[in-house]
Amino acid sequence: MASRYRCSLGALCMLLIMATAVIAAPTFVLPPLVRPASTEHHPGKVIWTDLVTPDIAGAKHFYGELFGWKFNDVHIGASDYSVALLNGNPVGGLYQRAVRPGEQRQPAWLTFIAVRDAAAAGRNILAHGGKMLTPTHSYPDRGQQAVFADPQGAVFAVLQSSSGDPEDVLAAPGEWIWSSVLTHDPDTDAAFYQDVFGYEVFEVPSNDGSTHILLSTDDYARASLNALPADAAKRHPHWLNFVRVDSATDTAARAEALGGRVLVKPFTDRHGGLVAVIADPAGAPFGLLEWTDTDSKQGAK
Amino acid sequence: MKTLVHGRSMRGLMIIVFAAAAGCVAGGGYDGGAEVGYDVGFYEPFGYDYGGWGPGYGVGPPGRGFDRGRGGGHGAPHPAYRPAAPSRSMPSLPTRSRNR
Repeated sequence: MASRYRCSLGALCMLLIMATAVIAAPTFVLPPLVRPASTEHHPGKVIWTDLVTPDIAGAKHFYGELFGWKFNDVHIGASDYSVALLNGNPVGGLYQRAVRPGEQRQPAWLTFIAVRDAAAAGRNILAHGGKMLTPTHSYPDRGQQAVFADPQGAVFAVLQSSSGDPEDVLAAPGEWIWSSVLTHDPDTDAAFYQDVFGYEVFEVPSNDGSTHILLSTDDYARASLNALPADAAKRHPHWLNFVRVDSATDTAARAEALGGRVLVKPFTDRHGGLVAVIADPAGAPFGLLEWTDTDSKQGAK
Repeated sequence: MKTLVHGRSMRGLMIIVFAAAAGCVAGGGYDGGAEVGYDVGFYEPFGYDYGGWGPGYGVGPPGRGFDRGRGGGHGAPHPAYRPAAPSRSMPSLPTRSRNR
């Protein structure tokens, strides 16, 4: 009997040790979006982006040289993550995800949209035809986030920031300034995003005959929805984020020199400034957008 | 008898400890649990082209004062979404710079 008691006690000790080890395991700590924390919330605003890449070292070199970003590395478990900073402020994350030999994957920037309640947003997304790719997960300091695909297949994430949402200010050069959804059917996709995030929806006049839609909250433009080009069968619906630059032409040339590719050459967009689309050396697409304080010149004509 | 009670208590305690530990790891709702690592890394489908925008393709935000009625209409006469009221002016980006 005594030996049985000792055996049970030993098992209990083992369990306690295992439980302690699990509880004390390092958690993936991401920095808060806002320091000091605020009570501002802007549901529907794009408040974060994460690059998923097989080559985080190459990405850091490319984006560091191109935009002057600095990086804070986070190594936890098998994950390599780095927070990109501009003037000390976080502008995005770089996440290394291995690609198995022989496997071909498309690196991308993941777009995070602000929500007040990530779990409720998830239920709402599913109810309107979206698909959950990752369930809601809490990260200390950051908040709760989950990844979804809209009904057309464009991947995005929602983020319930525990430190509030970044204030509505004009992005500085080197910061993300704009986001677009390129999709097969902007009309029905606009209804999806409106139902989920409560956007006010504007049709934007265009000269190319295709549908251009603007999503807005708080009286600010948040994103555009655009029809994919005519050869849409070769193209997958996706979100595309744009970094503000002083010169899209110069930045595109520098991106090529750093190993990137120009996907869309700089052209004059409806606001009068130049826009371009680049692929980083691993193939992740992102946009460049010029914006000045006088960017009402085309619309004001 | 005393040993039997001891054994049952021990088994009960073990179950409670295990349940408590599991409860600390798995959260409620959609939470998949406190994995060590980052689980939102998604690659896009491979094999598709990007770009291919033709002349007149516009993706950027409208500038301030952009006229909603300018240019040709192209959208569905009865769109799936609820359009902003005609009285609403076209929104643009924030104008205020960050205080730094």
